[in-house]
Amino acid sequence: MKNLIQKLVESIGPSGYESAVREIVRDEVAPFAEEIRIDALGNLIVRKGSKTKSGMRLMLAAHLDEIGLIATHIDENGFIRFSTLGGVRPNNCPGGRVRFMNGVEGVIGIERLENPDRPFSIEQLYIDVGAASRQDCPIKVGEVAAFYRPMLDLGGRIAAKSMDDRIGVAVLVESLRQLKKTPHEIYFVFSVQEEVGLRGATTAAFALDPDLGLAVDVTLTGDTPKGVKMEVALGKGPAIKVRDGKMLSDPRLVQYLIETAEKAKGPYQLEILEGGTTDASVIQITRAGIPSGCISIPCRYVHSPSEMVDYNDVQNAVKLLVTVLSNPIHLG
Amino acid sequence: MIEITPFLKKMLSLPGLSGYETPIRDLIAETWRPLVNELAVSRLGSLHGLRRGEGADPRPRLLISAHMDAIGLMVTGIVEGFLRITQIGGVDDRILPGQPVVVHGRQVLPGVVVKPPDYLLPPNKATRTVPLQYLLVDVGFPPEEVNQLVRPGDLISFGQEPFELSGEALAGHSLDNRASVAALTVCLDELQHLRHTWDLWAVATVQEEETLGGAFTSPFEIQPHLVVAVDVTFAKGPGSNDHNTFPLGKGITLGWGPNIHPALFNAFKDLAERLEIPFTMEAMPRHSGTDAYAMQVIASGYPSMVVSIPLRYMHTPVEMVSLKDIYRAGRILAEFIARLEPDFLKKFTWED
Repeated sequence: MKNLIQKLVESIGPSGYESAVREIVRDEVAPFAEEIRIDALGNLIVRKGSKTKSGMRLMLAAHLDEIGLIATHIDENGFIRFSTLGGVRPNNCPGGRVRFMNGVEGVIGIERLENPDRPFSIEQLYIDVGAASRQDCPIKVGEVAAFYRPMLDLGGRIAAKSMDDRIGVAVLVESLRQLKKTPHEIYFVFSVQEEVGLRGATTAAFALDPDLGLAVDVTLTGDTPKGVKMEVALGKGPAIKVRDGKMLSDPRLVQYLIETAEKAKGPYQLEILEGGTTDASVIQITRAGIPSGCISIPCRYVHSPSEMVDYNDVQNAVKLLVTVLSNPIHLG
Repeated sequence: MIEITPFLKKMLSLPGLSGYETPIRDLIAETWRPLVNELAVSRLGSLHGLRRGEGADPRPRLLISAHMDAIGLMVTGIVEGFLRITQIGGVDDRILPGQPVVVHGRQVLPGVVVKPPDYLLPPNKATRTVPLQYLLVDVGFPPEEVNQLVRPGDLISFGQEPFELSGEALAGHSLDNRASVAALTVCLDELQHLRHTWDLWAVATVQEEETLGGAFTSPFEIQPHLVVAVDVTFAKGPGSNDHNTFPLGKGITLGWGPNIHPALFNAFKDLAERLEIPFTMEAMPRHSGTDAYAMQVIASGYPSMVVSIPLRYMHTPVEMVSLKDIYRAGRILAEFIARLEPDFLKKFTWED
């Protein structure tokens, strides 16, 4: 599975520009899918199974897109000013390397700060692609880029840009591969534009009108020096989301996931995330309402170019998801 | 006749935090069952009560929502037997220390919100209001037992019992928005001896305090022609300003702004004047802060209205309302329904 993860995190797909990642995923799922389609927004929707008497119509969602940058101005010396696609934090930028969709790479520089103690903003940063002038610059206004660096395999743990949410994409692909038999009609939705307002999942959920929604995405952890106060830690298993900044998971689904994890003797943690959300929050309020929840992969340094996950957590998330998908789901 | 005060006090004594409304929904369902023709529960847990009108089929439909969920707390972690907490909905943390609470773990545990002594707090947090992240809940048990009985994600509801005050005032937690559920119940009760042509869908919605989840979904299922949200608004109190607070016990408010259809506002205003129900126009320049904000833009959109009951000490465990205002809100809703003519929508134009 590490090869798949590497392929996914080393490709580029900022919100709205997911084509390259979508092609990789399409090739990966093709041998296992019963139906593949791409909708108007660019969501890749993959069906497996048909609804039996004891089954449901399920929507699973992991987003293809990652946070990125968009060129807004090229100055006469060839420096590129940029704006952000999604939640890029200024303090994760200086010194970072980026790659544009056309393959051009560059580094992020920062203006000299009048007062180094004050926080700085995106407006004080620029991208240097080595151009000597505006005419020489291979990038035009409107071109998009993402952070770029190779995956770092630390053994038990792996770090890369765009673990959010390529790791969720990898979990869905691997679960689809391992899933032998299911009573459900399952739609694996590889969604677009999550980082700019959960937009792909909004329309996919409306179109699919599922009985149940489940997102697979990353969550923060509280296990780093002077980090956020949070119980979730790397290596203690996939996290079953109780709530996040914009969603209260369906309590019946939370209970079902807990019972399933316990029955399978797999590790799990309970997640209470105080800011941020996932595709599940918009699935939940689609149409007349869809009971929804989320299985999260604990991840350090989210929205930085070095997001870190624990490989065991990833494998255990696949195990939990495959168990859930293989059996009838009972909401108490 | 439904005895509203005991019903309301019973509602205030039950949990039913946002996302976890089952206990409060069961009580409302039991109370509404004799007052409606049909009762159903939505996929997210909102309660839908239908009172059929006498008009010819297909009848137009009016949806009135009052959210039944309440604000409260949730366990985020356990530190040496004390519970770290976060909020469900917007809790006013200035008055949390010292409040009795109920922790819904593997068993129900009484507890109290405690504030660490100043010398244990970061210097800039000492001697002032302590942010929620530094507050703890103490349930009395030693750490080993707490670890067995409580886990992250467990709910904590406020523990105070409601109490009546002089001048027909009632205080308690969750009056936002169970005062409005009571008003909607008054409305259903009045309709027992009023005739109406429209169908009425009385809806007790879920998750208003967090996501407006009920308001986003129930109208999609019911497909009404008009929607009304009943909620609470800020009553005048010590130190409050004059321009966006409303006197307690002196009448309801009728919302006005982009979230409200002007013709619907006018219909309510005319009716209140005719019935001599005291009211104030409440300017809602942006988000009305109610279910109406979501309901207005569901499907192809619905004309919407907001009727509010003034309430003091919003989002504290001692919210206060006047029973008189609850009855007024219930009465104007019932009279509005009774007077809805079959062709009301035809007269309902933007030229008005």
